[in-house]
Amino acid sequence: MTTSTAAATRTTAPLGRLLGAELRWVLRRPRTLVVLGLLGLVPLAIAIGIATTGGPSAGRGPGLVAQVAGNGFVLPVVALGLSLALLLPLAVASAGADAIAGEAATGTLRGLLLAPVGRLRLVVMKSAGVVTVAVLAVLVVAVVGMVAGTVVVGGAQGTLVTLSGTTLGVGEALGRIGLVAVWTVGQLLAVGAVALAISTLTEHPLVVLACVLGGLIVFGVLSAIPSLDWLQPVLLTTGFSAGTDVLRDPMPLDGLGSSTVRALVYVVLGLAVTAWRMRRRDA
Amino acid sequence: MTPTTTAPGTLDLVPSSEPDGPAPAARARGLRKTFGRVVAVDGVDLDLPSGAVVGMLGPNGSGKTTLIRMLLGLTRPTAGHVELLGRTGADLPAALPDVGALVEGPGFHPFLSGRDNLLRAAATEPRLDGDLRAPVDAALERVGLAGGASGATGGGDAARRRYRGYSLGMKQRLGLAAALLVPRRLVVLDEPTNGLDPAGTRDVRGVIAELHDAGTTVLLSSHLLAEVEAVCTHVAVLQRGSLLVSGELTALLDGGSGELVLTTDDPDAALGALRAAGAGPYLRDGGVVVPAGPLEPPEVVAALVAAGVGVWEVRRRRAHLEELFARLTEEDE
Amino acid sequence: MGKGKRWGLGLAGIVAAGAVAVGVAVAPSAAAAPPLPPVSPEALVASVITAQPGPLNGTVTVDNELGLPALPNAPQLGNGTQTARVWSGGDGKGRVALPSSDGERTLVSDGTTRWTYDSTDRTATKAPAHRDGAGQPGHPGGTDPQTDPAGAATQLIADLRRTSTVSVDGTADVAGRSAYQLVLTPLPTERTLLREVRVAVDAEKRIPLQLTVLATGQPQPALTIGFSDLTFGPQDPSLFTFTPPPGTTVKDAPAPGQRPGPPVGAQAPKTVGDGWDRVVIAQKPATPPNQNRDEGDAPDLSRLGTPVSGPWGQGRLITTAVATAIVTNDGRIAAGAVPEQVLSEALGQ
Repeated sequence: MTTSTAAATRTTAPLGRLLGAELRWVLRRPRTLVVLGLLGLVPLAIAIGIATTGGPSAGRGPGLVAQVAGNGFVLPVVALGLSLALLLPLAVASAGADAIAGEAATGTLRGLLLAPVGRLRLVVMKSAGVVTVAVLAVLVVAVVGMVAGTVVVGGAQGTLVTLSGTTLGVGEALGRIGLVAVWTVGQLLAVGAVALAISTLTEHPLVVLACVLGGLIVFGVLSAIPSLDWLQPVLLTTGFSAGTDVLRDPMPLDGLGSSTVRALVYVVLGLAVTAWRMRRRDA
Repeated sequence: MTPTTTAPGTLDLVPSSEPDGPAPAARARGLRKTFGRVVAVDGVDLDLPSGAVVGMLGPNGSGKTTLIRMLLGLTRPTAGHVELLGRTGADLPAALPDVGALVEGPGFHPFLSGRDNLLRAAATEPRLDGDLRAPVDAALERVGLAGGASGATGGGDAARRRYRGYSLGMKQRLGLAAALLVPRRLVVLDEPTNGLDPAGTRDVRGVIAELHDAGTTVLLSSHLLAEVEAVCTHVAVLQRGSLLVSGELTALLDGGSGELVLTTDDPDAALGALRAAGAGPYLRDGGVVVPAGPLEPPEVVAALVAAGVGVWEVRRRRAHLEELFARLTEEDE
Repeated sequence: MGKGKRWGLGLAGIVAAGAVAVGVAVAPSAAAAPPLPPVSPEALVASVITAQPGPLNGTVTVDNELGLPALPNAPQLGNGTQTARVWSGGDGKGRVALPSSDGERTLVSDGTTRWTYDSTDRTATKAPAHRDGAGQPGHPGGTDPQTDPAGAATQLIADLRRTSTVSVDGTADVAGRSAYQLVLTPLPTERTLLREVRVAVDAEKRIPLQLTVLATGQPQPALTIGFSDLTFGPQDPSLFTFTPPPGTTVKDAPAPGQRPGPPVGAQAPKTVGDGWDRVVIAQKPATPPNQNRDEGDAPDLSRLGTPVSGPWGQGRLITTAVATAIVTNDGRIAAGAVPEQVLSEALGQ
């Protein structure tokens, strides 16, 4: 037998092996791969759109997308900002939905609890899967955005022109892109934690997806109603536009900071509900 | 609460809570589960004797699966408590590494192959260490899903195909393989032959027999009486959430009926002699039937021999589980 | 069932705790009024006139509840909150950034040249600087002679006291700094929509930190302009220089730079009345001054408001929380922080 003395007495498998199995499972799930592929198309589509409509003179017009023209380093930032509206939350919510509700639907949650993977360890393992998807999704958008921005759009003499009219060198531009990527992961973790929490309450992954995306849309509507101003600090979507701040010079940190704090509170809440529910959930 | 008294006329043969003898593999006391107003399981006391193969019988909806789920800690009982391999309460999961289970049908991911599904399950098994492929392949071999030669069904490379394309029988075999990934002290199989062809059913019986020989306790839930009768040493009958009877299979069958069937060269003389000896014999299908009563079998034979009646055959007629089951469930109605 | 209820309560509890946590973590907290030595209005104003705050940077927030009608060409005038980031070198150099969701307008003054950069169309406009450049927006620069601040302050307060009650009413905490509250309240004889104007003055640096306008009948301020964040200290000199980035259209401003603001009348406006019930009557220009986008397109007023008529003729009445305006059909505009009747009388004169 392959059992060792540790294996003969321990009551749960080593965490590293659990995490490895979870990551392999997440990355082999066709849904994950499809969403990641779609995300890669976002910066590509912007780049091709900018390249075919013309050079910097096409930069006139509304929206941040116009900023990309002749300013390739802006592409990853703009693509992340656009994807954060729907596609990135979709990727993370789908991972959260499959993590627990999906496992319950296929009957595999039972197997995990019987193995047994401890109920709290299960939350750790599932969170790791969602974090992986969030990081990969952001990486795909940022890296494809950088490549497309450099190759298809071309830089402004190798620099990034900020919204404030200053120019940043390559090093600082990459730093800014890295910062917005990390910040975006933070926002997505908030979405993922909420998705996990909802995932513990149902056996239907689509319910999770509908709740999370519907919730984001409702948040968007609520934040557009002036008389509900007082809700703004509570809504996760309030901070979603702060990513644009990395294109300003000097970079204002309050928007990025407060939205990160808000996202952290969502993460803590989501994980609390998840752990609390998983502790007693039937499977 | 003694549920065995809910069915009058049956014997309580459970050697329950006797201080001597090995501790039971699982023990339920006063177990009750309600879903809203529906009572799924009500006041069940049950022991799974160590090393036994316990068949849990009951019509659909009688609470078999709910009882199993409570035994495994998948569902919290509304009342009562469970002891699994000596562990109880919050400590119950500590017993689970030594418990293999196939509950409510096999659960696997459709986009992974059977083998990859098992590898994922193996990664979560506390008792496995190092290379996981060996035990996975062994389990696949055991249930006939291994690639190549011996597979009874789904030969070829069944284990490497996606689970999505599996037949019901192959899914069931894979579920069994997951329950048998590591040597277990208790194996719980909920309707394991569901969807299996006769060859598959025979394979499952073989697996259960192997487990029994190795000293593993097996809990087998089924609505197929013949299946239970064929492989089980013990039986527990559930009806509408209550345990009607539980105990050793042979004792239950003998206890339910003890009549002797005699083949003689002169039935009428035999009837007269037995009546004179105090038994209440009667004729059935040309044979003499002596109901269990004042006379023990040697006394019956002695009476006939003394009367000069030639005795060709004496056998105790054993009840079939089916009769027992029918009797129990009818009495309850 | 009892379990379900307990469950629901637990979930509700967690969510409620979360909502509070989000609020506490993200929302700015209100601080108590700090204790400060008393000061007279005259001394306070005099100290403002001579204040030398030195280099600073901060964020100015405009909280607008004026109730202005939404104009397609001037969305920033609608109700809501706007912020501007300001840097001042303390020596006439400054930078102002006006962020929007899809871009930013940047104003940079290096002491001799003023640049305006608009990211949405990537144009940079160049103009000679004049001294009261960026740095303290929302505050009219001191026009009184610097030589006699005490006298100028006394004169100013005396002027104000003909129509107002002027007092230093307590203290406040603005952007984390202690401030005196200079309060102007109209005398009962004044016919105005305004209830009170408050100016918070930094207790140490003596610069105005916040202007609050309160209208009658409204508990919340109609307009609050002030620092939400303020730091004094040396600033990076590179903030006060501007080099047009690659791909930028550079233009020269036609005239000394004017900030975007209300449309400027073609003729000199005349005023009727004095103090709080002053009414400004202007002639609407025949064609809007539309040559330069940066100067702000004149909003089309002809569709706004409700029809109104009086001895002066016919027109349309526009009311907001703090002001009223009448646009007559013959092209006159009368406006003031007064009720409609006062406008009507002024137009009749």
